[in-house]
Amino acid sequence: MVVYSFFIFDRHCECIYIRQWLNNTPSVAQPLSRPVTASSVATVATSVAEKPAPGSRLSMAEQAKLVFGVIFSLRNMVKKLCGPEDSFLCYRTGHYKLHYYETLSSLRFVMLTDIRTESLKSSLHQIYVNLYVEYVVKNPLSPVEHAGGEGVNNELFELGIDGFVRTID
Amino acid sequence: MLRHRQLPVHSLQSSIIIIIVISPRTADTSSLGLLIGIIITTMVVYAVLILNKAGGLIYQRDFNPGLQKLSSNDYLILAGTFHGVHAITSQISPTNETSSSGLEVLESENFVMRCFQTLTGTKFLIFAEPRQQNLDVVVRRVYELYADYVMKNPFYQIEMPIRSEGFDRHLTSYIKPHQ
Amino acid sequence: MNRDPSPFRTASTASTATSPTPKYANLTASTNLRYSLTRKSIYDRHLNRTKTSELSKSAFAFLFGEMVQYAQKKVYGVQDLEKKLNLHGYAVGQRFLELLLWRDGRTAKRETRILGILQFISHQLYRAIFQKQADTLEKVRENEDEYMISDNDPVVNTYISVPKEMSQLNCGAFIAGIIEAVLDGHCFPAKVTAHTAPNEMWPGRTVFLIKFEPEVLEREALRVGS
Repeated sequence: MVVYSFFIFDRHCECIYIRQWLNNTPSVAQPLSRPVTASSVATVATSVAEKPAPGSRLSMAEQAKLVFGVIFSLRNMVKKLCGPEDSFLCYRTGHYKLHYYETLSSLRFVMLTDIRTESLKSSLHQIYVNLYVEYVVKNPLSPVEHAGGEGVNNELFELGIDGFVRTID
Repeated sequence: MLRHRQLPVHSLQSSIIIIIVISPRTADTSSLGLLIGIIITTMVVYAVLILNKAGGLIYQRDFNPGLQKLSSNDYLILAGTFHGVHAITSQISPTNETSSSGLEVLESENFVMRCFQTLTGTKFLIFAEPRQQNLDVVVRRVYELYADYVMKNPFYQIEMPIRSEGFDRHLTSYIKPHQ
Repeated sequence: MNRDPSPFRTASTASTATSPTPKYANLTASTNLRYSLTRKSIYDRHLNRTKTSELSKSAFAFLFGEMVQYAQKKVYGVQDLEKKLNLHGYAVGQRFLELLLWRDGRTAKRETRILGILQFISHQLYRAIFQKQADTLEKVRENEDEYMISDNDPVVNTYISVPKEMSQLNCGAFIAGIIEAVLDGHCFPAKVTAHTAPNEMWPGRTVFLIKFEPEVLEREALRVGS
């Protein structure tokens, strides 16, 4: 399993956290290569990073906007088709799979992986419960709102995510 | 605690395995067709939508209850929205491939949707019960029926809404309402 | 080169086609469909060569569809359109009858009775064109001069769905034209029309109604009397 990137959107539809795991080699050649860990890659966090990441056609900030547009539209579409209690779990294209998890407080967790990955709904829930709540919400230094990603981008959370991605590999 | 992994329960839950053994001597295409027909009838298809290359809705039909009833205007909006979303999903590919296909399968709690885009840009959307495995077969067959009973009909205008009685009839007999 | 437009192309004119005119001389064989690699034109092939060959149903459906669309552009109503299709079929029928009788060789015979010719149509002709027999052949009880040939699923209508506003139309008028031409060719002048008559099993069932001219019945009566 390959995890490409991870996003969190808050209830104001703002992207408060971006994390990308870069594959320097084309994924076709080594589809099963493990995601490179924090020590060896440039991890780019928060929407402050405007420069396009190497190997990607869009900058991460632009990509986050597109991702949000897609999940927002799909979520509304699914709710329209199946009633307000339904929510969409994931979608798959020919090259990647997008997993979606929305909390009751309208926080949205999005993870992009390769297409062979099974449903990550519970994994995203685990990230919310064990990492976000523990290290961000319970952090006394973190603000309530995270405009610009402030407060989410702390070291414990980062390490937790990295560790988590390695375990679900 | 973080090591918790979800077992793929659904793949065990509803797996119906039908093994077809046909010796080459008795291979009879009609009985094979019948068997495939039986496999197909075990699935529940909620609705079929067809979008033209500009994102306009040209066909919409419900087969089994499962989705909300929408007004025709809502369906038109939905088709337009999906057309846009489909284009964006091919943009945000995280891999290095230059050309990426758009959304192919969408899963929610209550349904799964298979989208198939032809090389000419027409999109077929099949909504079905969650965890259906053989939607690819269904979508190919619907495409085939479209090629036959819509595109070969001299009274059909390309890109316009489909009002073809033959297409309706064959689609119904293929996707029978689930008993 | 003498370009005689006469339809009676004899063997001698056909053979001239094998020696290409200067216009074709610089073209390679593959660029010109009319000439095969052996430099023989389609006129040189034996007529029996295509007797058992089959045609792609899709190719036919597209061609027929284009024909219907073309005819539709030049007409004002459904009846006009059926007449046009009938005329197209008539042209096919005239030529096909000739070919069919030629292929029968010495066993070919000219039908002289109404029943004989109707059976020829629903069996031989139908099998030669569609590789199946017509499904029924009946006489209309009320009218002395009317007969019905029915086809449960006419090939020409396989992919056609007639829109509601033209519900009277049946593109089987093309086949009706073929039948009419064959009847005419046997000196049984008649009017043939196609009507949709669906039943539960066959939603596309088509009936070809054949109404003979009065002189045909007169002649038949004379023969029966003698």
